[in-house]
Amino acid sequence: MRTIYSGVACNLDADILQACYPLFEASKIEAIEWSFDALYKRRNIPDWFLQLLHAFANEGRLIGHGVFFSLFSGRWTYEQQAWLKHLSKVSSAFRFDHITEHFGFMTGADFHSGAPLSIPYTNTTLTIGKDRLARIYDACGKPVGLENLAFSYDIDEVKRHGDFLSKLIEPVNGFIILDLHNLYCQLQNFSVGVDEIINLYPLERVREIHISGGSWEDSIIDIGRKIRRDTHNDAVPQEVFALLEYAIDKCPNLKYVILEQVGGALHTQQSREDFAADFLKMSAIVKQAKGLPPETNDFLPKELIIPALVAEDEELHQQQTELSEIFETAAGYDDALMRLQQSSLANSDWQIENWAPYMLETAISIAQKWKK
Amino acid sequence: MELSKALLGALLLGIAVETSSCTKDESKNVTPANNGEQVQNPAATPEQPDNCPACGLG
Repeated sequence: MRTIYSGVACNLDADILQACYPLFEASKIEAIEWSFDALYKRRNIPDWFLQLLHAFANEGRLIGHGVFFSLFSGRWTYEQQAWLKHLSKVSSAFRFDHITEHFGFMTGADFHSGAPLSIPYTNTTLTIGKDRLARIYDACGKPVGLENLAFSYDIDEVKRHGDFLSKLIEPVNGFIILDLHNLYCQLQNFSVGVDEIINLYPLERVREIHISGGSWEDSIIDIGRKIRRDTHNDAVPQEVFALLEYAIDKCPNLKYVILEQVGGALHTQQSREDFAADFLKMSAIVKQAKGLPPETNDFLPKELIIPALVAEDEELHQQQTELSEIFETAAGYDDALMRLQQSSLANSDWQIENWAPYMLETAISIAQKWKK
Repeated sequence: MELSKALLGALLLGIAVETSSCTKDESKNVTPANNGEQVQNPAATPEQPDNCPACGLG
């Protein structure tokens, strides 16, 4: 019989670990997700943290979640090659059950400075995405998955996201992480109902669900409008728990439900208690999931040939570079809009003419937040 | 999942000396293992600068 494990995003962070400790002590945490590429510049890692990772890995309950690979960067970089080498190394050291990454490309000239933003859904980006996922599988030898993005420029993109994800993961027989807070952001930011969107995702390919909290930001250009952002810095809203209850029985291959929160939001005793309460609430919903049939998919490719030549597209690279530069340096919405209209992205597959103004404003805010 | 008492004890001690991962203070980044030993970090690569683990990138 299939089991769904309730877990936490757990990294070498004193605040996260302190919040998790009572749950570890009470044997409530059934799996951990580790962002293996997001450690600090530290050559040495405490033995007790390695033991923690191995304890879960030995039970087949350690999952890896990459942050910085930048799946859709048009140009193949040395840093991506190093990331794969690193993945191969940690995959040898730890027995991961699966490996995941984020959808999108990272803004920022530097590999680790930026945030993932969306890309046009074209044959070019599809080819690059498939190429990168194959290389991730080649490096880790484990099932590979992709997380749905929280940010979209317009409602058409939201509606096409699930189908594009489905095409991307097909060659590696991959899976998706359905991040329900990301979905919540889309529902709120584009005023659509869950029924209109959720069935557009390949739900039979959901192996992992994320829940988290986030924040609201006031639009400056659209007075009265609030933008929902996936900042992971607050307790899980009731609406996201409701989405979990709604989605869990729709995902026949679900194996993990993971609670995420940044350590920076877990400084106080109250915030840690709220985190533990959120976990227990999530775990109770997971345990109520009914009629769990055996997994029908092992999410491993039957046959996969890694292309000798890495897929690249110079035009896409130039557009991404131009877009990142505009977002990171724009004085505001009007400045960014003017520069975009004069850029190579105008009248292109990016369809900047259709972007919701308040989402362009949000993209600027996200890019400038993570620029170093 | 049940963790051994030894691991829980090590975890508790480790958390007490561990720094928050969002700091940029490099001097805090060298943390000895709870038994005083330095353990090679299998996750460390020279190419990886500091960054914020598991951030909400929204």
